[in-house]
Amino acid sequence: MHRLSAVLILAMAFALVPNASTAQVASIDLQTIIDDAAPGSIIDLAPGTYTGGATINKSLTITGHGWPVIDGGGSGTVIEVSAPDVTIENVVIRASGASLDREDSGISVLAPRVTIRNNRFEDVLFGIFLRTAPDSLISNNIVGAKDVFIANRGDGIRLWESPGSIVEGNNIEGGRDTVFWFTDRVVVRNNEISDGRYGLHFMYSDGATIEGNILSSNSVGAFMMYSRDVTIANNVMAENSGPSGYGLGLKDMDNFTLSGNRFVSNRVGLYLDNSPSSAGSEGWILENLFAYNQIGASFLPAVKHNSFSGNTFIDNVEQVGITSSGRFSGNAWSVDGRGNYWSDFAGYDADGDGIGDVSYRVDDLYNTLTDKYPDLAFFNETPASMAIDLAAQMFPVLRPEPIIEDSHPLVTRPELAPVHSLNGGSGFGLLIASLLMLAGGAAVALLPSRRRHSSKGRTLA
Amino acid sequence: MTSVASIDSPERPDLSTIGTIAGKEIRDAIHSRWFWLWTFAFAGLASFTAAVALPGSQVAGFGNFGRTAASLVALAQIIVPLMGLTLGAYSIAGQKENGALRFLLSHPISRTEAFWGTYLGLAASLAATVFGGFGIAGIITVAQGGGVNADSFIRIAILSWLLAVSMLGLGMLISTFADRASAALGIAIFTWLGFAFIGDLGVIGTSVATSLPTWSLLLTAVLNPVEAFRLASLTAFSGSLDVLGPAGRYAVDTFGDNLGWMLFLVMGAWVVVPTILAWWRFNRIGDL
Repeated sequence: MHRLSAVLILAMAFALVPNASTAQVASIDLQTIIDDAAPGSIIDLAPGTYTGGATINKSLTITGHGWPVIDGGGSGTVIEVSAPDVTIENVVIRASGASLDREDSGISVLAPRVTIRNNRFEDVLFGIFLRTAPDSLISNNIVGAKDVFIANRGDGIRLWESPGSIVEGNNIEGGRDTVFWFTDRVVVRNNEISDGRYGLHFMYSDGATIEGNILSSNSVGAFMMYSRDVTIANNVMAENSGPSGYGLGLKDMDNFTLSGNRFVSNRVGLYLDNSPSSAGSEGWILENLFAYNQIGASFLPAVKHNSFSGNTFIDNVEQVGITSSGRFSGNAWSVDGRGNYWSDFAGYDADGDGIGDVSYRVDDLYNTLTDKYPDLAFFNETPASMAIDLAAQMFPVLRPEPIIEDSHPLVTRPELAPVHSLNGGSGFGLLIASLLMLAGGAAVALLPSRRRHSSKGRTLA
Repeated sequence: MTSVASIDSPERPDLSTIGTIAGKEIRDAIHSRWFWLWTFAFAGLASFTAAVALPGSQVAGFGNFGRTAASLVALAQIIVPLMGLTLGAYSIAGQKENGALRFLLSHPISRTEAFWGTYLGLAASLAATVFGGFGIAGIITVAQGGGVNADSFIRIAILSWLLAVSMLGLGMLISTFADRASAALGIAIFTWLGFAFIGDLGVIGTSVATSLPTWSLLLTAVLNPVEAFRLASLTAFSGSLDVLGPAGRYAVDTFGDNLGWMLFLVMGAWVVVPTILAWWRFNRIGDL
């Protein structure tokens, strides 16, 4: 490689620059540095502020030390990459423009094989925007967003026709979506995405691998459309709420495998709409956890050809629900004699083989009513709703047809390794509050007996 | 000095007399089986709920107090109104029946003083029951390693007490109309059934049969203090009403951040209005 010589040339070329940065307060023009660098060279940015709005039009590496800041000054795109094999690392990218029409970004890439890693993005509209940048790597960046109304924000990371790319270990907070369009064979791994609109959003992107991501407190954890051969494994989708509030939604997807994911405290854990969509393709939902969601798994009634096995359903207000009415059939709720674990399974396992001897059915009268009349969800968890279910249990004539039937329900919960804790409050505050309440209660009870002798006389005087 | 004033103008209520009667009422409560029955029932069930719900709500590192809190709210919806209604219903009718009221009013005590003394004493006893129950449930939650926002826990406890007090006022209103304690208790239990079960079931049935508009469901929150309590509690611990589907979102979209204090006002109205009516009625009953 010609890297060594490049460094030497640069060392000479830069002899002036660091001095300049310490000498003057005004920022250094990044474009000048880029123009002065030879193709293939490594630019080592010293701490300081550099003027953005630069275009990298040759293959080179920009690496910062001590967090140099590249400032877009609040207009346009901070760095545009138009040459392949560019690396940008260890810098702070700040203050892009705010125009959604011009798609103002932190870094915008129009060439293949770029590497963007270990950077921090602050006050940018779009964070990283790859348009036609196949085989790129985006890793370990921290991507913030502009503090504007969510629909006016840009996407933290957006890939457009950039197949074979890897998005890994990034932390994206408060942007709009993280989007993948026409980007096949992308790997999305170990990212943390929170407080956005769509944590992950896939359109027409086949062969994706989505693994180990934590998608929390977004409107929707991940929504995937019109793609096939997708593997979604060991992700956490938690506390995605709001009117949509899906942990994971699949629409018109084919041949997908969901395994080891944790769907926790979402409005709807998993939502399936016409997936799988084409003849002969299948959906596999294996060993996932659905806990504390309003609805564990929700389906449009026409959804078929999914197999559920080894999943754990715990305390979802509605374990499985159907949106609107209609006959729901054609999905397997056990595979090779292994079904799923249901926290409200009331059966038994006399032969001790770990499989319940009676089927698990979702046939709550109240939830069947709320599926059909969504307004009635207003009465969730009221004594009245419990009375309705109790009545249906006691008088089978009231019992609706089961939505699903798992003929091999698991009686013990499958082992699940802890992945991430989202515990809210602290025990200490609650303890203090409880003790105060107890003390208050006791004080009320004891107060009058202390006054008994002094007051009694006067009352009866 | 004060007792002289109360003799001269029995119309002007004397605070220390009210306090004395309230104290007597609390002492009576502590010596009554009713009080301990409710205290043990509420504290026991609340602790049981916390003890059972919490271990089930820890899985793979995820905790969820929301479900425990929801269970506590559901429990409070059933027990607390029954507690307040029966205590209130028994109070005046019971004392009328066994002559205690006549004895009390033979002293230089006005009816107003007797009423408010009884009311405040019972309200304080209910506070002891409710806060005691929540306190024990909270300690059990902590003992099991559960964490929760203490702020919302206290708010739910206070809302429960408000519900208890509003039902106490309503119970006393019932009591002023009944000649016998058993009749008052009977009406109180019917009222409780109406608020806790039949009202909601009626709305559910009507909604299925005639597809009521979404907003009309919210009316139940104004017309039924138990519903107002439930919505206020849900708002207190989850900050939104997403749990309640389209109607809940309608409420949040329409009233936004005002929803919390609006529900609080509704509950306040349910505390004040029946009690004032009961007081007014108590002052006009002919024979005690």
